[in-house]
Amino acid sequence: MTDQQSPERYQRFLRLFTSHEPAIRAFVRKLVPSRTDADDVLQEVAIVLWERFDDFQPEGSFRSWAYGIARLKALSRLRDMSRNRHVLASDVIELIAEKSEETDGQLEKERELLDQCFKKVPAKDQELLAMAYQPHVEIQDVAAMSGRSVRGFYQWLYRMRSMLSECIRRQLAKEVVQ
Amino acid sequence: MTPRFRFQELMQRYSDGVATSLEVEELCGELRNSEAARHEFITLLNLESALESVAAEWAAAHPQPIVISRRRLLPALPRKGFLVTLGLCLAIMLGYQWWTVQSNRVFATVENGTGVRELPGGTELRSEWIEIAGGTVELLTATSARVVIEAPATFRFDSPMRLNLVRGRLAADIPPSARKFTVVTPSGEAVDLGTKFGVDVPQRAEAEIHVFQGEVIAQASNGGQRKNLHSGEAFRLKSGAGSTRNLRSAAFIRPEEVRPLHAALSAGQPLKAETELGRLREDPSFVAILDFESPELPEGMFDSVQGRWPGSRAAEFNQATDYLRITLPQVGRWTQLTMAAWVRLNQLEDTPHSLLLATNAKGEIKHSLQWTIDREGVPQLLLSGTPVRSKAVATRETPESEQDRWIHLAAVYDAEHGRASLFVNGVLVNQGAFAKTHQLAIQRLVIGSPRTGVQRLSGRMDEFVLLGRALSHDEIRTMFETGNPYL
Repeated sequence: MTDQQSPERYQRFLRLFTSHEPAIRAFVRKLVPSRTDADDVLQEVAIVLWERFDDFQPEGSFRSWAYGIARLKALSRLRDMSRNRHVLASDVIELIAEKSEETDGQLEKERELLDQCFKKVPAKDQELLAMAYQPHVEIQDVAAMSGRSVRGFYQWLYRMRSMLSECIRRQLAKEVVQ
Repeated sequence: MTPRFRFQELMQRYSDGVATSLEVEELCGELRNSEAARHEFITLLNLESALESVAAEWAAAHPQPIVISRRRLLPALPRKGFLVTLGLCLAIMLGYQWWTVQSNRVFATVENGTGVRELPGGTELRSEWIEIAGGTVELLTATSARVVIEAPATFRFDSPMRLNLVRGRLAADIPPSARKFTVVTPSGEAVDLGTKFGVDVPQRAEAEIHVFQGEVIAQASNGGQRKNLHSGEAFRLKSGAGSTRNLRSAAFIRPEEVRPLHAALSAGQPLKAETELGRLREDPSFVAILDFESPELPEGMFDSVQGRWPGSRAAEFNQATDYLRITLPQVGRWTQLTMAAWVRLNQLEDTPHSLLLATNAKGEIKHSLQWTIDREGVPQLLLSGTPVRSKAVATRETPESEQDRWIHLAAVYDAEHGRASLFVNGVLVNQGAFAKTHQLAIQRLVIGSPRTGVQRLSGRMDEFVLLGRALSHDEIRTMFETGNPYL
C-alpha cells in the first residue's frame, strides 16, 4: 500500500475537506455564474486537493490552500465557458476572489444566520423557496405551483431574497450590540 | 458610474444567466472600479449559495417528488404507439419547413438606431431575439407599422403583425395596413385597432398599455378580462380584471422624435452637455447638480430610467407620492437663485407639477420658494414668507410641439432687483416683479411630491441644476443649446 492509499491519509483529508466544503463551495459559487458550474468546479477542486494533499502543510490553512486551487479551476472553467457564454473577465474574477477571501469570516457568519432567517419564513414560502433552489428545477413549474406567472414568481423571489438579506443584517447588528 | 438600481438588476440578470454581452461588460466595469460594488456582488452570491444549501437540507428533510418538469414527459411518448410517433415525425418535418421559411422572412427594417450600435439603419429583422442595453431604435414593419423601442429592451418579431416584448418601452404608430398589429408581453397582449399607443414592460412588474389615439384591445394572460381602451386611457395587464392607470403621455419616445434625437447624438451633443455641466460644477455659486449618473442617488422614491442620451440615466416619478429630497449640509442664504432642469412631463388633468420646493431645514412652507408648472404647461415661481404670497407666472403656455418630449425649464429668483424670470427651452417666457422679496434661507430641496398638498411630479427629470446667483438670459440659452437632445 502506497502512502497515497493509506487509510490515515484518506481520513485526514476527508475530515478537513468535509469541514471546509461548505466554505469552498460558497467561494466557488461567487466566481462562476451558476450552481451547476459551481458543482462541476467543486468536483474538480476536490480531485486536485486529494491528488496534491501531500503538498499541504499541516500547520497551514487548508481553506486558504483550497481557495487558491479553486480560484485557478474557476478561471480555467470560465475560459472554456467564454467561447459560448457571457462571463465576467478574468481580472474581475481575481478581484472578487481576493475580496471574498478578505471577508471570509463575515460571509460565513451571514450563511449561518440565513438558517435562522429561513426558519422565520412561513412554511408555505419555505417550501416554494426550497423548490426554486433545487438543482435542475424548471422555474415555470414552481411558478405554476405557486399560482403565479413566471415573471410574478421572479418578482416574489426577488422580494424574498431582499427580506432574507435584511433579516441577516438585523441579526448581525443584534450580535454586534450584544 | 452605474446607478445602484441598475447595478442590482445587472447582478441579478448575471446570476439568473440571462445577461447580454453588453450587460456583462457593464457589470465588469462596475466590479473593476468599485469596491462597494464587489462587496454587494459577493454578498448576493453568498446568499444564493446559502439558499442552495438550505434548500438541499430542506429537501432531505421533506422527501417528496419536487416538481415534474414538462421536459421529463417526453420520453413517455413512444409508448403511445407507432401512429403517435409517426404523427410527431411528420409534424416536426412540417414544422421545420415552416420554421425555415419563417426564420428567413424579413419582418421589419431598422429605420434609425439612436445609440444602438448593433442595429444600424437598414438592418433587416427576422424572427430572432434582440436585446438592446441603451438607446432607441425605430423600426418599420413589412406592413408599414412604425415602432419605436427604448432600451433596456428585449424583443422578437413572430411575424410583421406580431411583436414579443419581454422588457422595454415601445411606442407604435399603426396605419390601416397594419390593423390588428399585436404586442405580446409576459403579462398579456395589446391588439391594435388602428391607433397610436405605447406599451411599457418593466423588469419587475406587469406591462402597461397607454393609448394616445384610437383604440386598443388589452388582454391579460392567466385568464384576465379583455378590455377595449380608447384615446387617453391606460391599463395595467394583470390577471383578473386588470387595473386602469393614469396615462403617461411623455413616458414613450415617439416616432417623430427619433430623427432629431439621432441628429443631436451624431452632432456630439452629449459631450457638449457634459462639458457645460462640468463648467457649472466649477461655478463659485454652485449649490447642487443632479445628473442621476452617480451610484449614490439622493433620498426619495422614484425609478431610474434612460435619460436624454443613450445609456444615460434619469429619475422617473410615476406615483403621486414619488419624490426626491436633498438636504444641504448647512442653511444657504441667497438673494439670487437659479434653478434649471431637463424634464419630460406627462400631461396632468388636475394638479400642477412640483419641480422644486426649497424650504428651511424644517420644511416649512411659509419660508419657501416653489417652482411649478401647471396643467396648461405654464411655469410659475411662488415665494412665501412675505406678507403676501408672491407669484410670477409665465405669459404663455407650453406649445403643443413641446409637449410629451424633453424640454428645458429654468427659473431665476432675484431679490436684489425684486423680480423673477421664467424660461422654457432657453426662451424668456416671463419676467415678473414680486410685490416683496427677501433673502432666502434654504436647506431642504424637494423635487416631486412635497407631501403637503395635492401637487406632484409626473414624468422624467434628467439634470437638475441649482446655483446661488441670477444667471443671465445668455447663460440660460447656452444651457439649453448645449444640452438639447434634438437637432
